[in-house]
Amino acid sequence: MTIVDTDLPERYRALLLAALDCVVTMDHRGSVVEWNPAAERTFGWSAAEAAGREMAELIVPPSLRERHRAGLARYLAGGEPVVLDRRVEITAMRRDGTEFPCELTITRSTQPGAPLFVGYLRDITERHTAEAELHASRARIVTAADDARRRLERDLHDGAQQHLVGLAMTLRLARRKLFDDPAFVAELLDEAIGDLSTATGELRELARGLHPAVLTEGGLQPALTSLAKRAGVPVAILAAPDERLEPTVEITAYFVVAEALTNVARYAEASSAEVRVQRVGGVLHVEVRDDGRGGAELGAGSGLRGLLDRVSAIGGTLFVESPEGVGTLLRAELPCGS
Amino acid sequence: MATTVLIVDDHSAFRSRAKRMLEAEGFEVVGEAGDGASGVDAAQRLSPDVVLLDLQLPDITGFEVAEAIAARPPSPAVVITSTRESDDYDARARRSGACGFVSKAELSGAAIEELLP
Repeated sequence: MTIVDTDLPERYRALLLAALDCVVTMDHRGSVVEWNPAAERTFGWSAAEAAGREMAELIVPPSLRERHRAGLARYLAGGEPVVLDRRVEITAMRRDGTEFPCELTITRSTQPGAPLFVGYLRDITERHTAEAELHASRARIVTAADDARRRLERDLHDGAQQHLVGLAMTLRLARRKLFDDPAFVAELLDEAIGDLSTATGELRELARGLHPAVLTEGGLQPALTSLAKRAGVPVAILAAPDERLEPTVEITAYFVVAEALTNVARYAEASSAEVRVQRVGGVLHVEVRDDGRGGAELGAGSGLRGLLDRVSAIGGTLFVESPEGVGTLLRAELPCGS
Repeated sequence: MATTVLIVDDHSAFRSRAKRMLEAEGFEVVGEAGDGASGVDAAQRLSPDVVLLDLQLPDITGFEVAEAIAARPPSPAVVITSTRESDDYDARARRSGACGFVSKAELSGAAIEELLP
């Protein structure tokens, strides 16, 4: 049973009963006068149990109770209201003692006689969790970008740059020996050509890793084919869209497949993999399935975690089904307009 | 007698090019090492006149290697080199007990000799 004054107009009663937010009323002694169904659900006290009890005991954590009581007493003694008629965030407490973040407004009803205080409370745990996850995800995206830049610097330093430095030394030596030892110079020039070709190849690989030109030029179909060719296991492309999609959708789908195939080659011990990328309405479905050992988890490797952030950033979802011994299915759903 | 050199660098392609260049310029390359720890060992074991030392090694930095070499006699002259460049590398190299820094882009026997005491 819910306490809502039966003398109230029916519409007000309906409003309290249907409200998703907790609506509770407290008298000047701090006792519960009204307690709607949302309050029952949120705090775990039925309206019958709450009626007449001190509000502070029911919903205010012990550590904050004295402050609550003192605030009420100060206001009743003529003090300036501190929390009335504005939105505040507080910590509230459920019947089982668990505490949760709550947003609250309290207003004083204007009927004659002793004051009544009506409070609207909303459990904002989910919002806080979502905000925390959003912050964490943003931080991971920034970290991933920093890591990628660091990796790029290291790859350039360890790869092409070393070859080019070696090339410069070889050419300087060749110039010095040009007239003394032409046969040696010919040898040096051959080596220089080799170094240059290696450096060019490494730069090409690096550029492809940053953003695959084949994707920009031809879209997902040729880009996926190119990924499949370079994969460590045989890969069958079962479906790939022949239309062009938003660049962010294309690159995200590409990286989902690239990361999945990298994981297949590194960890799955699979004999083959299948890729299926299909647009159904406004959603691009990306699936990579292998017949390996399974056991992959979304939170396990930073690769999949990073992929989840990337997919989430464009409003998509990422799933992994990876039963031990059966293989892994990595599936992403990316919104791609209608 | 030729000036003897130990090359400490984790890139074998660089070591081989540097070796050939230095030998063509009259140096004698007496050893190579691919990381800091083996560089410190080789410096003591081979007692070269010069250690040509890369700054970015897989285990420790060239500055740390230079300090370790300086602390253990016979403490040969150390020249630090890198593909990276920074204004303070030369001063940091000298603080760590090396003779100085020369970028790999400018590396030559003459550039090394200029830094030697």
